[in-house]
Amino acid sequence: MLSHTSNEERLEDVLATCVAELFADMQIKAERVNGDYAPPPLPDSLTAFCGFGSADLRGSITLLGSVALFSQIHPLPIDVTPRDLADWACEIVNQAVGRYRNRLLQYNLSLALGVPQSALAERVRLWSSLRSGNRPICFTIGRETLEIWLELVVKPGFCVAERSPNESTAGIVEGSMLFF
Amino acid sequence: MGNKTVLVIDDSLTIRQQVTMTLKSAGYGTVEACNGREGIDAVRSGLPIAIVICDVNMPVANGLEFLETIKGDAPAPPVPVVMLTTDGSPELIARAKRAGAKGWIVKPFQSDLLLSAVRRIVGDRGV
Repeated sequence: MLSHTSNEERLEDVLATCVAELFADMQIKAERVNGDYAPPPLPDSLTAFCGFGSADLRGSITLLGSVALFSQIHPLPIDVTPRDLADWACEIVNQAVGRYRNRLLQYNLSLALGVPQSALAERVRLWSSLRSGNRPICFTIGRETLEIWLELVVKPGFCVAERSPNESTAGIVEGSMLFF
Repeated sequence: MGNKTVLVIDDSLTIRQQVTMTLKSAGYGTVEACNGREGIDAVRSGLPIAIVICDVNMPVANGLEFLETIKGDAPAPPVPVVMLTTDGSPELIARAKRAGAKGWIVKPFQSDLLLSAVRRIVGDRGV
């Protein structure tokens, strides 16, 4: 049986893949960073987060990036306001957590999602960031860095690896359409 | 085509703007709502809505609650609804289908895909 840490690593890998795919679909050039990086400047940053839960685990996904980053990747040709950027940060975390939910269906994990929220990131202290050795998933986009923090509380004894990917439970692919 | 009105329901301002820009570029009119409750009010107001594009995960009332409520309201065939959401779960798709949704698009959406869905459904109804 895998340890608790292995569960978290596997679930984090799934999330990192989801975010990379999301940026690719949005035609945003993002590169995963595994080594050292310059963290977003907190006085000029935004954060957006969304909680989720199931019978076996609960947690949240939090994005942290500079105002400059969210301006750079905003999809509309408009003069963006702080409200626009906060909304866009929420939508990115919404689409990231939605994709995460869709992927975890393949492991027979069905997450219920919360409603995304955003905030000015002047003083963000996530529990996961306080744990020794914990690092966020990081992407560089242009000259900016986006941190993605995954908070997880896993039910004792639960093991993701015991549940083999099951394509039959997978939903439809992002960017596609069904008619009834 | 210019007098066909699309009701866009999403709690994300950015998505509402993206959908609205896409539809307006093709000559459609739009009305926006921020959640399912506002969407229900818009439909009940008697606006001549040709089709609804509706998110699922929203505060106050979600997209499935919107769908099930307007289905329960309708003495006549209700306005067609296409769900536009991050969610691709078969369970929710089946629930939406039972409640009368005409389509399901998983974000992020491509403008041409959204327009083709609207044209197909509005055209089929002969509005």
